[in-house]
Amino acid sequence: MDQFISQLLQKAKAAGIEPAEVYYVSGESFRAMCQQGMINNYTVNASRGLSLRGIYGGKMGYASTQAFDEDASSQLISGVIESAELTEDESVQEIYAGDGNYPVIETFAPELESVTAEEKLDYIRRAEEALLKCDKRVVATTYNMISTSSSCVRLVNSLGLDLTARDNFIFTYLSALAKDGDKTASGAKLIAGRRFDAENAELSAKKASEEALFMLNAEPVQSGSYRAIFDPYAMSDMLSVFSAIFSAENTQQNMSLLGGREGEKVASDVVSIIDDPLLPGGFDSRAFDDEGVASRTKSVVECGVLKTLLHNLKTARKAGVESTGNARRGGYSAPVRVAPSNFFIKPGEKTLEELMDGMGDGIVITSVSGLHAGANFMSGDFSLIAEGYLVKDGRKAQAVDRITVAGNFYDLLKSIRAVGCDLTFPDSSIGSPSVDVGEIQISGK
Amino acid sequence: MLTQKTAQLVLEKALSTGGDFAEIFCEDRRNNNLSMRSGKIEAVASNRLHGAGVRIYSGLESVYVYTNDTSEAGLVACAAKAAAAIRGGSAVKAAPFSADGNPNAHIIMEMPSQVAGRRKADKLRAANAILAGYPEVVQGIISYLDSEQRVLIANSEGMFKEDLRVYTRFMVNAVASNGTENQTGHCSPGAMQGFELFDRTVDPEMCAHTACRTAVTMLHAPVCPGGMMPVVIDNGFGGVIFHEACGHSLEATSVAPGNSEFAGKLGQQIANPRVTAIDDGTIPNEWGSENIDDEGNPTTKLVLIENGILKNYMIDRLNSRKMGMPVTGSGRRQGYMFAPTSRMRNTYIAAGQDSEAEMIATMGDGLYCKSMGGGSVEPATGKFNFAVEEGYLVKGGRIVHPVRGASLIGRGSEILMKIDRVGRNMQMAQGMCGSLSGSIPTNVGQPMIRVSSLTVGGK
Repeated sequence: MDQFISQLLQKAKAAGIEPAEVYYVSGESFRAMCQQGMINNYTVNASRGLSLRGIYGGKMGYASTQAFDEDASSQLISGVIESAELTEDESVQEIYAGDGNYPVIETFAPELESVTAEEKLDYIRRAEEALLKCDKRVVATTYNMISTSSSCVRLVNSLGLDLTARDNFIFTYLSALAKDGDKTASGAKLIAGRRFDAENAELSAKKASEEALFMLNAEPVQSGSYRAIFDPYAMSDMLSVFSAIFSAENTQQNMSLLGGREGEKVASDVVSIIDDPLLPGGFDSRAFDDEGVASRTKSVVECGVLKTLLHNLKTARKAGVESTGNARRGGYSAPVRVAPSNFFIKPGEKTLEELMDGMGDGIVITSVSGLHAGANFMSGDFSLIAEGYLVKDGRKAQAVDRITVAGNFYDLLKSIRAVGCDLTFPDSSIGSPSVDVGEIQISGK
Repeated sequence: MLTQKTAQLVLEKALSTGGDFAEIFCEDRRNNNLSMRSGKIEAVASNRLHGAGVRIYSGLESVYVYTNDTSEAGLVACAAKAAAAIRGGSAVKAAPFSADGNPNAHIIMEMPSQVAGRRKADKLRAANAILAGYPEVVQGIISYLDSEQRVLIANSEGMFKEDLRVYTRFMVNAVASNGTENQTGHCSPGAMQGFELFDRTVDPEMCAHTACRTAVTMLHAPVCPGGMMPVVIDNGFGGVIFHEACGHSLEATSVAPGNSEFAGKLGQQIANPRVTAIDDGTIPNEWGSENIDDEGNPTTKLVLIENGILKNYMIDRLNSRKMGMPVTGSGRRQGYMFAPTSRMRNTYIAAGQDSEAEMIATMGDGLYCKSMGGGSVEPATGKFNFAVEEGYLVKGGRIVHPVRGASLIGRGSEILMKIDRVGRNMQMAQGMCGSLSGSIPTNVGQPMIRVSSLTVGGK
């Protein structure tokens, strides 16, 4: 591969593409599922992809490939030239020569690589067995998966930059289906990280089963306005969609309403939001972004005030600021965009129980779904199917499902009354503690 | 893409540890995308996807291994890796390849890879020129996508088939704003066609008008009230409701393990007798059509529900074994990076007998959904959630004004029984459906229908 890359950069230069950059991603992954004691969806792969981008005639062009045959280099070069010729974006796009120093962070756990396939299969078999032993009403698992992956990103350009990053992950997900008469409900537990812990199989079973059983008796509530807390799972999911409003790429394209509002109040005093690519153990921790800019931690919102938007080199140049190191490519073939790294609401002091106590009567939302359809980051509007439980006198009461919570995320940020201490990153680099959001509209019965 | 000799070697290696069925799927795919924002073409990208996957069954267990290395040595190594995970007792040998090919029902007139980029760019410009007529539209994202997917499927039962799938799609997303609020509208038609798409079915200007009108209409709309009410859902993309709330629950993926609310209900009434629903992969040049599925089986026209009675499930090869029922040519996958499973193709509620005007006039107070956004469903419980992209409040059988921010929630089995009107104006619309085997092109469709009562999420 080293030879392919260096020859490709030479050929690109000869064709008039200069400077040029190669972004090469290679990885391996393992995934298996188990239902009714049977292993299915057993998938193993080794894959790689490469993109070439570079300046031709003053404009940036892109092309990518997974094939590395004789045609690959010439297809990439003609692809970049056509792309550059058609592009009308005159804003200057840079190939970056690099920073003097890069932080050192650990994103690869070698011991995870030594976990055998048999140990992983054993894990999901045990998870299902444990689940079905929990309660006779827990009748099946609808999704019981383990996956591990490792990947390596290499960024090499004709300005002398040559960076490599490796990471690996393990995800397990177990969902339980509970039945009682004609009532059905589901519950799930997702565990993600860089450490394989065999005992998590039983722990997942317990959690998924508890949730499913609790939800069996769930009912919709009357439509109306409710005091509400979003737990870390629900709030992280909300933030995963609405983190897009902090992207300078979106503000510059009139797709977010936060453009030019740095220094203004955009949230209530208790809200601080952080983007931290250096977070130890974070899902999206990295020493450099996808343009090669060194990573750094920043406050996006501090005590309700918007401090900075997230930038890559292109948006930063347009705004006359420095890149925040948030250039991101969604895969080897994707263009450079802006995305958060480890992005979270800074935790406060109170536990969820204390927040519930402070609320008195209301509702705790524990899951929201249908985000890709029901949450629109451009308008901020959301209308999402939700589950949770009622709170009476500060205590957990009746389970609730088949409701929708609706509102506007910009308004919600301003109505937050308190932030809990229970910061969680449920399944991605987006995290949140429990958040008391004040009043929210609920549609149910 | 692959010689029969190499395929034979790979399949033999795959069966060497006692698997009873082996398959190889090779793919070479060229994608070309152009997108325009703020009136400028900002991204033009070509990508070549290339790889192969080897699948082995041992009874009801299956293993899938894929790689980008499609040299003979690479594929044999891939098969060896898959075989290592099998501990079967079968002595099945790969059968000699049959000469049976497959006829092509989807003629392509103008291969996208032969069309100059400038002609594609012109389509974006034509749509963009329309945006200026809508002063409140502050942003238009216009995209053109084409894809040429070549596949080769060979298996140990003697299959050796090739297919070419060509897709072209045009998308307009409009954002209307009054400075403090944004609203969006979209239009994204496509087909299993080449560049002739623009001569036959797609007018970029019309597409832009549709997206802009929705966004602007919604910008001026008050928020939708929530609660239970009768709902009329218009044709075309309105079919997403059937796709999400019922279609996924009729896929063997959720039926075989008994996770679907429709499992074990063949021959039973699961919908109002007015409802007939079909999943048809054979319609020439439609977005969700193919000649053969991704397991090499001929695609079919499958009646899912006939006059309210459940007739068929969509079944892929592995689930066919599990369920003891024949395959329906429904095994699909995004590409070599996914093992196939049962998926939808062009799925629609067939035209009925009811008048569209009558169903609104007699609905009383409720919601008319002119255009739907996306949605999601939990197959085990059938719970669904759809965004209403463009909705109108109905009072006393008359459409009074547009409303925004609405969503529809409920359960699949419940809504099917509650469909009390099915109109005559069946129309299909294009979508990308995401599931276990990746993201694939599917059509949704229906005539205008009425649901007697449904939970509307609003404010």
